[in-house]
Amino acid sequence: MTTDLGFWTLQALNALQLSMLLFLLSVGLTVIFGLMHFVNLAHGALYALGAYAAASVATMWGYWAAFLLAPVAVAGVGVLLYSGFIQRMRKSGPMAQVLVTFGLIFVLLDVTRIVWGDLPLAIEVPAILGGRLAFLGVEYPTYRLFIIVLGLVVLAGLAFVLGRTQIGAMIRAGVDNDEMAACLGINVERLFFCVFCVGCALAGLAGAVAAPLLSVTPDMGLQILIPTLIVIVIGGLGSLKGAVAGSLIYGFVQTFGAVLAPQLSSVLIYALLAAVLVIKPVGLFPAKG
Amino acid sequence: MFRHTPLRYAALVVLTSAALFQAFTAQYFGLEILTEILILAILVLALDIVAGFGGMVSLCHGALMGVGAYGYAVLSTKAGLTPPVAMAAAVGITASISWIIGAICSRSNGIYFIMATLAFGQMAYSYVFEAPIFGGDDGLGGIERLDLSFIGVDLNDTRTFALFCLVALVAMYGLAVMVLRSGLGRSFSGVMHNEQRMRALGLTVWRVKADVFGISGLIAGVAGVLAAQHIMYISPGLMAWTVSGEALVVVIFGGLGTLVGPLVGAAVFVVLKHELSSLTTYWHLIVGVILIGVVMSRTNGIFGFIEDYFAARNKAVEANPKATEVTKDA
Repeated sequence: MTTDLGFWTLQALNALQLSMLLFLLSVGLTVIFGLMHFVNLAHGALYALGAYAAASVATMWGYWAAFLLAPVAVAGVGVLLYSGFIQRMRKSGPMAQVLVTFGLIFVLLDVTRIVWGDLPLAIEVPAILGGRLAFLGVEYPTYRLFIIVLGLVVLAGLAFVLGRTQIGAMIRAGVDNDEMAACLGINVERLFFCVFCVGCALAGLAGAVAAPLLSVTPDMGLQILIPTLIVIVIGGLGSLKGAVAGSLIYGFVQTFGAVLAPQLSSVLIYALLAAVLVIKPVGLFPAKG
Repeated sequence: MFRHTPLRYAALVVLTSAALFQAFTAQYFGLEILTEILILAILVLALDIVAGFGGMVSLCHGALMGVGAYGYAVLSTKAGLTPPVAMAAAVGITASISWIIGAICSRSNGIYFIMATLAFGQMAYSYVFEAPIFGGDDGLGGIERLDLSFIGVDLNDTRTFALFCLVALVAMYGLAVMVLRSGLGRSFSGVMHNEQRMRALGLTVWRVKADVFGISGLIAGVAGVLAAQHIMYISPGLMAWTVSGEALVVVIFGGLGTLVGPLVGAAVFVVLKHELSSLTTYWHLIVGVILIGVVMSRTNGIFGFIEDYFAARNKAVEANPKATEVTKDA
């Protein structure tokens, strides 16, 4: 089986699909950290919120409305979080931030349980993406290909905005040295706020996209949080390149590990993370050298 | 360095007498809660040593406790060791693993340290979850308690076991105080305040961090062994990262770096949890709100708040001695 080319293609696509889902989540988290030095453990809860919002909207107006509205809804929640907590916690140490966002996980988890109940929800894959496509000699579900394409589009978009536009230059300046950037007349606070909202919207998008693949449960945010953190720590906090590299590493190690060494697969990724932290404590591509 | 203020002595006396009172008067359910509090108190004591006095905010202490619990369970049920040997071995294993984790993570600081310890904790969790020898998903049952019948103590009795846990907690508290007052403990606090300077003074920083982390792991291992003997059944859920997160929450509730505070926190947390979960299934929501409130209020938990209150009052008295004279006369 392992000599079959189709098998490898299939696994590579699976890995790529997982990577892109994680990329959508981790890029928001990593840029928020890089720019604001803020650790947001509640990012996973926002993803779960996105999935629930998508499930609710999808039952009313169909999948595409959910796809568009879920990120907006989660960004709205992000605005509330920002003005309520994050703005005030900006200057406190990492432990206080970890604890406040840990508390937020508890709160958001129970809020989703109160609003949507404990039972898993499901969304239908939209008809146009329902079938399978012949791709590089294998049949692959169209919806998963769609996730890969979506991840790549978001990646290209972010790379363009961060690398080629004025606002991207401002964000990079803020990550590099926020005080100097403020001296040069950049409204760093407002920039932070916008980046935070975009990060939340991407988490919501990830939730909406993941909802048809997985069943929507209250603890889905907790489950995705650890992989997301692993991605950004391996990749290095604060950089787009790091988020891409971390997501790909996680996706491929996890997928191929599960196929080639099932007994070791779950430990493998943590061992890799530990190794990265020992050799390069700040990750592979940190935003600041 | 850690010092016993009169207030801390008073708190310890109150806590111990409350525990003794509960141990001798409570019924089965009350004793179960007491035991749960005592075991959690040992765990958060371990966490407070590293987090409060060395700034090593660990998210793997739940997993370390799990290592102790699983170590004891496997050694006593599968390897056929007698309970005292298995206990000592399990605690020793936990301490060694903890020392290694401390040594590896000693180079990281702040959020990277938190992430690194999280990684090690999750590594242990997922290994135990998959490995057949540890019972995997199903956990392990049939764990025996320590047999102390030769001195006429039957630990299978709930009341006796609660008292046994109390003795263990007192011993661990003594160990913690001893370590923090020793040269090692002072160096450890020095590293938290200024790592550069301690290094310049010729200290091997990673060694100090690893040693204290190992001792903290030892205490967490004791908590694990007791937890395994208490429930007599263990599952991987014991090692999940949320357990470590909850331990950190308890430390914050009580008061970071006060050693006494986390004990108060453990009692409050367990009682709150039981009271709230009997009222509503959404008790996490309330705990979360309280946690956010405590952290954002910038007080150092319940005990820190009390200490600040008395410190402020004493300062007011010193600044205005006449006021006390008047009250004394009256």
